[in-house]
Amino acid sequence: MDCRRSGDVPLYFDGELDPAATREFERHLDDCDECRATLVGLDALRRDVRAAMPRVGAPAALRERLLALAAPARRRHWPAIAAAAAVAFAVGAVATSVWRTREATRDALARDLFASHWRSLAATSPVDVVSSDRHTVKPWFAGKVAQAPLVRDFAADGYALVGGRVDYVGDARVPVLVYRHGQHLIDVFVLGDADAAAVAPTSRRGYTLDPLVLGHQPAAVVSDLDAEELARFAAQLAAAEP
Amino acid sequence: MPVLSWKDAATPGHGAGPPGDDRAAGIGELALRHLDAAYNLGRWLLGNEQDAADAVHDAFLRATASGGSRVDGNPRAWWLAIVRNCCLARLAVHGRERRNVALDQVAAEHGRDAADAVVPPLDEPIEERLEHEQRRALVRHHLARLPPEFREVLLLRELEALSYREIADVLDLPIGTVMSRLARGRAALQKAINPAANEVDDGL
Repeated sequence: MDCRRSGDVPLYFDGELDPAATREFERHLDDCDECRATLVGLDALRRDVRAAMPRVGAPAALRERLLALAAPARRRHWPAIAAAAAVAFAVGAVATSVWRTREATRDALARDLFASHWRSLAATSPVDVVSSDRHTVKPWFAGKVAQAPLVRDFAADGYALVGGRVDYVGDARVPVLVYRHGQHLIDVFVLGDADAAAVAPTSRRGYTLDPLVLGHQPAAVVSDLDAEELARFAAQLAAAEP
Repeated sequence: MPVLSWKDAATPGHGAGPPGDDRAAGIGELALRHLDAAYNLGRWLLGNEQDAADAVHDAFLRATASGGSRVDGNPRAWWLAIVRNCCLARLAVHGRERRNVALDQVAAEHGRDAADAVVPPLDEPIEERLEHEQRRALVRHHLARLPPEFREVLLLRELEALSYREIADVLDLPIGTVMSRLARGRAALQKAINPAANEVDDGL
């Protein structure tokens, strides 16, 4: 592996070179046995992987289900008489579908929050930055999420800051602050307004999800605290000053 | 820039009125256009077809509900990132250990499918057919044993033909990390399936 251009072979193979660089590299390939051999190897590997893992088409049933969901509710120009009769029905249908969408969003959000908490409990460490020092945790979030959360330690009140991590909720990256109370780990997710609006108190397998406020930021907490401990913690968070 | 922008997190997703409707319809079309990619991604992350279909369904609801306010880069990567997140959420709920066996299950199903569905040409000698199936089994075996972070990049590139940029956006990684994982994944797999040709793959 002596050719200094060998690093360009995968770029060429993967179509990542621009047209001029591609033509230039092809001229190089004409003269370089080594790069040609590497290219042949990459091509053989791709064929092997594709043969071993054939792609399949999505099932027609799934496609139809999604098509039905996607069908845009186009406004129809009903004849005047039919319109009057349709109004009552339409109002009901729209209300139902809005309600269903909201419910689906809320379920998806709750699932993400619980999943993130359980995943962190099962992981080697529930945090990506370990620190009880808010001056370490806060800068760690800078650059990872657009808005660094308010980081406060409530160790004096029995809720010690353990650290923080970044996780996905839906398709948004959110900061998660991790606190410890006795043997309990508590995740505080700092959410955007849209997501926060969809958080409803929920419990699953002994864990609860509750909306609360961290200083002025909307947040959600997932933990296995009992109601009294949680209320105390929520009061601490709400009272946190920027 | 990652496709998934959290800056817009506060933007209300459910647009009322015509512009929101059109955008939601556009997202539906986008998702349906890349449905096969989404479904295959789900299949090899989750290991079975029912879970894959359910995860894609979840992702579809989530993508359309978001109103597309966060699509500010490559739309396909944005959609596949949502699909992947839905798959990972499912895995987290169903147990972490499944992630590691998922590929073996897919592989087993593939093996069956290949045996059932691919009618080999009659003039192909039986030894050759066996040889091909053994080769596929060997590749699946070593693919399943690659570290997951290499395998994911490798499959997104070789099967879904995503560009480096798209893979970086789906996995929310820097593009340099994608390139090095792809190179290392390829080198490791080449070495494993072609033990005789070790000198070809270093430096990739």
